[in-house]
Amino acid sequence: MPKLGHSIRTTAVLAAVAAAFAALAVGAGAAPATHDGTTLVGAGSTFVAPLVAQWITPIGAAYGDELQYSAVGSGAGVAAITGRTVDFGASDAPLTPDQFTACNGCEQIPWALGATAVLYNLPGVKNLLHMDGPTLANIFMGKITTWNDPAIAALNPGVTLPSTKISIAHRSDNSGTTFNFTDFLSSSSPAWQSAIGTGVAVNWPVGSGGKGSSGVAAIVSSTQGAIGYADIAYALHNHLSYFAMKNKSGKFATPGLRGMLSAAESQTTPNADNSLSIVNPPAKYANAYPISTYTYVIVPLQTQKAPDLKKFLFWAVTKGQAFGPKLLFEPIPKSVLVVAEKAIAKIQP
Amino acid sequence: MTSLDIAENARRPFTGRRVRFGDIALQVVAGAAAAAVTVLVGLIIWKVIDQARPALSKYNVHFIFRVAWNPVLGRELYGAGSFLFGTAITSLLALALATPLALGVALFLTELSPRFLKAPVTALVETLAAVPSVVIGLWGIIVLGPALRNHIEGPIHSALGWIPLFGTPGAGASLFTAILVLTIMILPIVSSISRELILGVPHELKEGALALGTTSWEMIKGVVFPYARGGITAALILGLGRAVGEAIAVSQVVGGGVFIHANLFGTGDTLASKIAESYQGATTKLQTGSLVYLGLILLVFSLVANVSAQVIVRRVARKHGITRGGRA
Amino acid sequence: MSAQGLAGPGRHADHLARRRRVNRTMEILAWVAAAIAIAILVIVVYSVARKGASELNLNLITKDPIPFSLTNAPQGLANAFAGTLVIVGFAILMALPVGILVAIYLNEFAPAPIRNAVSMVLDILNGVPAIVIGIFVYGLLVLGHGQSALAGSFALACLMLPLVARATMEVLALVPNALREAGLGLGIARWRVTLSIVVPQTVGGIVTGTVLAVARVAGETAPLLFTSSLVGTQTDWSPFHALQSIPVAIYELSESPDPADHARAWAAALVLLIFILFASLGARWLATRSRAKMAAR
Repeated sequence: MPKLGHSIRTTAVLAAVAAAFAALAVGAGAAPATHDGTTLVGAGSTFVAPLVAQWITPIGAAYGDELQYSAVGSGAGVAAITGRTVDFGASDAPLTPDQFTACNGCEQIPWALGATAVLYNLPGVKNLLHMDGPTLANIFMGKITTWNDPAIAALNPGVTLPSTKISIAHRSDNSGTTFNFTDFLSSSSPAWQSAIGTGVAVNWPVGSGGKGSSGVAAIVSSTQGAIGYADIAYALHNHLSYFAMKNKSGKFATPGLRGMLSAAESQTTPNADNSLSIVNPPAKYANAYPISTYTYVIVPLQTQKAPDLKKFLFWAVTKGQAFGPKLLFEPIPKSVLVVAEKAIAKIQP
Repeated sequence: MTSLDIAENARRPFTGRRVRFGDIALQVVAGAAAAAVTVLVGLIIWKVIDQARPALSKYNVHFIFRVAWNPVLGRELYGAGSFLFGTAITSLLALALATPLALGVALFLTELSPRFLKAPVTALVETLAAVPSVVIGLWGIIVLGPALRNHIEGPIHSALGWIPLFGTPGAGASLFTAILVLTIMILPIVSSISRELILGVPHELKEGALALGTTSWEMIKGVVFPYARGGITAALILGLGRAVGEAIAVSQVVGGGVFIHANLFGTGDTLASKIAESYQGATTKLQTGSLVYLGLILLVFSLVANVSAQVIVRRVARKHGITRGGRA
Repeated sequence: MSAQGLAGPGRHADHLARRRRVNRTMEILAWVAAAIAIAILVIVVYSVARKGASELNLNLITKDPIPFSLTNAPQGLANAFAGTLVIVGFAILMALPVGILVAIYLNEFAPAPIRNAVSMVLDILNGVPAIVIGIFVYGLLVLGHGQSALAGSFALACLMLPLVARATMEVLALVPNALREAGLGLGIARWRVTLSIVVPQTVGGIVTGTVLAVARVAGETAPLLFTSSLVGTQTDWSPFHALQSIPVAIYELSESPDPADHARAWAAALVLLIFILFASLGARWLATRSRAKMAAR
């Protein structure tokens, strides 16, 4: 039957194509990729993502390793390294004792220093409006609803504020930036502390959720009257305005390198678990930007990729810091660097 | 002859024949595939229940209607209430909007359309059906959301803001945007199934009614709809199932709110979109378990919807089979 | 149909006028509904086409993305296109054989109760939301092992399987019984009759069903979020690594504040939409052609 032969031929051709495709794919996978080194897969904080992105090419050039980083949020990063789905995680919020237990032999290492900027979108109004913690907490609790509210006006004498409604943007995913931001709000406002508290995700009373720092920046940049929070690099990258925040000494500090460095002086030696808390530092740090934070890389103490991982991390906390200032990440101070390097040395194959 | 009869007959010439090894081999291999599929479905159900266990054991059924989602460590409390509400509001309202539009399109294509429009409009509807949900979500975030906020939600709120339904608009992502996105997604399904059902109404019934002097509308109302009622109901259930299960497009446009409120212009979340947003970053076993519990509720709902649609379709097929047989 | 009673002709005329008015109104409403639906359609498709076309260039397929690029180096979504090819390719390899075998079993061998039961199982599988499949495959294959394109393929295969199986069953049922009986009458073993005579007749329908299933899963995002989302920026073809895919790339880019990211998302969306449309139309054309062939026999 000629028809039968034709159909068999079609089947045979299809099968051959499928087999060839499978061979190609497996072959491509087995063949050495464009680099001779290993692949280091990381995931986590969107806060530090702009900085890590700058490290991909230099690491490839220096060690031949392919660095992969997915900015999925600090919470997802911790979950990923706990499940050993990745080689390293990144989180702006330090691990809790429960998370250390769940991660089963992990350590956290501070590897960058940055600041959470509070962004806003008010066309026609200047950058660096003044803001303080208690007022900010009231805004995010929904108690202050328009931009020309007396509380905001009092902080900004001489500035004409529009009557636009305030649209709040917060993170919809588990975020170390949220942890940093709510840490600040809790320490500035007892009402916030008792009603909502601090966390990588909280029960936001009002507002729209965005995924990642990008998502929050997207909401703020597309909505007039919006207010949100993200690492300062996102404000710069997207030309968004941000507040000068009142610190404990009464000064309105900007989220720049000086503000972060001054805040970092409030804790120069990390805790036993390598975490540091520099939110809302005491008044004697007069230039401190009160929503500054260290951000951490979370690594297993024992991993097959130990040699390459250690090379990468040593590079990151030393040479990698040079890529920071352009994006408003302050290089980590010497006292923290010493502890970080000791921690990296602990990683064993 | 139905395909059931054909298959039956194919087996009958078989009795008494010598059974070759190849026959057994094929039957075993093919049967294994069928068994594997059954095992797969069982595995899905079991794995979902298993991963939801931390929340199932802690909360039992109280989880289902509790309105709470507090992930703050030390104050953790989870419940599906707000997401059930969000799913119900968005899916039901989307279905309410999509049904008249879909039936309108179906009627248009079967009864009203001039011949030259039939093919292009049908092609357009099929095109919409082919658009992946992430692309509709992309369009929703960039085009629909801002347009709604600036040109519709704003003015409506200014004019009718005293009605709780039309409260303060948010930043573009809202329940309202999600409802419209879901409407766009349900529309092609309901419309193409309805169109086929209307076409499937026996000609004699339609012509008979018209011959008696009914207007077109009366014929549709009195003959087509009652005849196709079961099928249209099944189509609506399928559309509803699609809307309820839609995670991606909704998560892009709904805004991630956690409370129950009447404001259509405010944010919300549905069962599916909450899972899509939060699953990757869930910090504790209780949170992961709670998110999978949401998935379990979703799974149960879609099973029920699916089986109901099947039952209706089977009942309708039987009824019309008998009717046709009686006529013959 | 309508009992007019024995009222005079005047009453009848009024009644008729009202019925005609109602008919006209409903007709207008149907036109309006159709117009609204068509308008929505045109707006969505036109948006994607216009925004996508402006950024559509060869870079999209040949260049990898550069996140947080501080220069204006050309970038694209090459890694996503490669990844989608791999993931969908392996999904077809997983779903096709199993789907065909299940259909063969149900149509050629299974007694009626088993056939009804497994048919219902297939329908249930078809109704499971994609995000629940994602949770399932995550728990089964990713936890403890890491993400991979193969895990993503498996998730997509679960979504494709009912479509392939059902399409194959339909065309198997269309094969005339005379063909089977002729083969058996010639003394050919049953397995040979099935594989060499019956199945080849259905290749057209199987291809149609597969192409439609591919069109359905090519745009699926949710299952891939759980199985193949922690990816790198370099183009990679290995199925054992987590690979970027077009829908996930669009999803991530859609929530970015950068208009350049949006432009790339639209372009990728346009390519995806064109592919899906061609696949669906091609499948339907194949189906019409093979149905005509069957009828002509």
